[in-house]
Amino acid sequence: MKKNTSFMIKMLCCSLVRRRSRMAAALLGIAIGAAVLLGMVTLCYDIPKQMSKEFRSYGANMVLVSSGRESMNLDDAAKAVRHFPEGALVGMTPFRYIPVRHNMLPYTAVGTDFDAVKKTSPYWRVSGEWPAKENEALVGADIAEYARISPGRTLAIDGRNSKHAKFEANITITGIVKTGGVEDGFIFMRLPDMEAMTEEKGLADVAEISCSAGEKELQDIAAVVRTDVPSLEARLVKRVIQSEAAVLGKLEMLLYLVTLVVLVLTMICVATTMMTVIMERRREIGLKKALGAEDRRIAKEFFAEGVILGLVGGLCGAICGLLFAQFVSASVFDRSVAVEFYLIPAAIAVSVLVTVAACLLPVRRAVEIEPALVLRGE
Amino acid sequence: MFWKMIFGALTRQKSRLLLIAFTVALGVSLATAMLTVMFDVGDKVNQELKTYGANLNVLPKGLSMLGEMYNLDQVEGEAARPEQHLAEADLGKIKMIFWAYNIVDFAPYLETKIMAGNRPVILVGTWFDKHLNLPTGDEVDTGMTRMKSWWDVTGSFGRDDEPRGAMVGASLAAELGLKAGDALPISGLEGQDLGSLEVCAVFHSGGVEDGQIFAPLRLVQDIAGKPGLVQRVEVSALTTPENDLARRAAQDPGSLSRLEWDTWYCTAYISSIAYQIEEIMPGARAKAVLQVAESEGAILQKTQLLMSLLTILSLACSSLAISNLVTASVMERGTEIGLLKALGATTLSVVLLILVEILITAFAGGILGYFVGLGFAQIIGRTVFGAAVTANAMAAPLVALLVLLVAMAGSMPAVRMLLLLRPTEVLHGK
Repeated sequence: MKKNTSFMIKMLCCSLVRRRSRMAAALLGIAIGAAVLLGMVTLCYDIPKQMSKEFRSYGANMVLVSSGRESMNLDDAAKAVRHFPEGALVGMTPFRYIPVRHNMLPYTAVGTDFDAVKKTSPYWRVSGEWPAKENEALVGADIAEYARISPGRTLAIDGRNSKHAKFEANITITGIVKTGGVEDGFIFMRLPDMEAMTEEKGLADVAEISCSAGEKELQDIAAVVRTDVPSLEARLVKRVIQSEAAVLGKLEMLLYLVTLVVLVLTMICVATTMMTVIMERRREIGLKKALGAEDRRIAKEFFAEGVILGLVGGLCGAICGLLFAQFVSASVFDRSVAVEFYLIPAAIAVSVLVTVAACLLPVRRAVEIEPALVLRGE
Repeated sequence: MFWKMIFGALTRQKSRLLLIAFTVALGVSLATAMLTVMFDVGDKVNQELKTYGANLNVLPKGLSMLGEMYNLDQVEGEAARPEQHLAEADLGKIKMIFWAYNIVDFAPYLETKIMAGNRPVILVGTWFDKHLNLPTGDEVDTGMTRMKSWWDVTGSFGRDDEPRGAMVGASLAAELGLKAGDALPISGLEGQDLGSLEVCAVFHSGGVEDGQIFAPLRLVQDIAGKPGLVQRVEVSALTTPENDLARRAAQDPGSLSRLEWDTWYCTAYISSIAYQIEEIMPGARAKAVLQVAESEGAILQKTQLLMSLLTILSLACSSLAISNLVTASVMERGTEIGLLKALGATTLSVVLLILVEILITAFAGGILGYFVGLGFAQIIGRTVFGAAVTANAMAAPLVALLVLLVAMAGSMPAVRMLLLLRPTEVLHGK
């Protein structure tokens, strides 16, 4: 038995080495198949997640408001934010709205955290500088146009806080913000400045939250927030969430379909390549049969060859596939792809299976043939 | 003689050439499907993104901004000033700009305050589903029903021919205890009786609209005493992602050179569409909603880039597979070629023979594959987007070029082998 095995290994090695160029062709075909398989499936897994991050450029998909008539407390908001999963939360931006006056005209001043705004509302277009220092502010494009305010101007504003105490302040405009929405009609200042100005600390009217999660998850989080922090009401921004779900769903389906089509076609290509490679060797099979080899033995030898080819091709292909997925992810999303490691052995196993299956039909046909006919060259 | 030999090879070697044709057809169908989907995916995703709602707001140029800005009420007794409103009759013009076909939908809005259930409520007049006949002879169906498809509506969307049918926002409906089918008595702010509305639907939008009532525009114009006027129009348009040129133009169209101006004007940037609306409707100001415009651009670009990379991958893998097979099948025929050479055929004529044979087979497979690929693309389009994918004229020549290149490249190793071939050795069976 032992002798038999070593003989078979020797035969296999010889066959693989002697027919280098032909085997290289088959190997190439298998490797392409495995590369496509692993690359596409990895991308299919990863892209919806990556796209979901892209969708955060639409801005907040959840808002926190006070459930009562009063403004909400920032500590409560911070408590609510803890219920969001660490990796998925993009940012939380508090907004505090105060009516103020400048030159006897009424305006709305909004206190916020500009670093958080840059994360949750990346679509804000600011010409000039973002406020960084004390008493610096942004002004909305509509006000800037209407009141002819340009960056660098200092505005004197006054108003009353919620306890009707008067306040006054001077703010320096560093830039003009344009969004095409209601923001164009507000004056934005840093929240600490507003707190100092109004002498009221830790209050906000709305907190916008941007979180890469689906509708179901967000609803669950909203329910948890409602029970844990009863002073807050968490609402989903339906428009953003629904459209995101629709587009992502379509994209995912598109990817799966494309992957399926590509896979089926590459598998067929691998199979045809293997078939031609084996069909050529009918003469060899005939000779072996004439020398007294059993059908089973010949089939076993070919399958062993198929397994080796499938393993080697699958491994090379898996590496190329991962590189490809990495390249796509880096060039489209500027991020590295998350690899599901169990996919790698799965891809190799599939390529072995396909290769062996592709050997099945031609080997059987070749084995059935009369040795004499094949050897004579018919 | 040459053609006779080709014909002979084609008929005698049926099964082998059939295999090549089959592989070519598979590869080509994959390439065609991917190319077709790739060329169309931008449009399809753009359509899908339209559910995000309007990306343009058309407002009157007058002082309307103040009202929007400070939520000022209109001064009592003051007549509606025309410069604060847009004329309803002008709205059809939006569909007559240069990029008219990119305007997907639009809907006008007119707000007024009424009393419902002893509390002031904002009543919004709009077109639910309006049919317009344009002076250009085109017909347009547009309105809010199409633009707010994400709303959760219990009941049926309002209709323009039901003068008193109204849709009530979910939070207001909960406060007033209303459901679809109820009648809602309303009155003016001073208590004058305005009859009652028939609630045809309760909707949930997740925004401020949940506290408002939507009714046909005509009714609200009558109640507000502003016949033929609207306050603002939401427009949803298919746009090209913004680039530097568009940003510069948005800041100051005057800074562009003549050539840049033409490029900008003839590209469907959000800023050029806004500019064209302002051009055709004097007295109107079109504002791009950047939240929608900017993000759409980002997502569209990503999707297109992704699809093009996947297309390149599938093109590469189908061409490799085809050339692999072509090589294998040519090399098999060593004996036959050896015989030809032994009989005195020149290398050139043998190479030519092989190439023509392969090309004929490849093109037969390619044509079949092209149509199968179009079928694949349609299946993908139907399942994913529920709409047919437009076949792009670019796909066919690209695929033809691909087949040519691949068949040639695939025959190269075989040709090289032919040049080195020694007839005696091959015929001897080595």
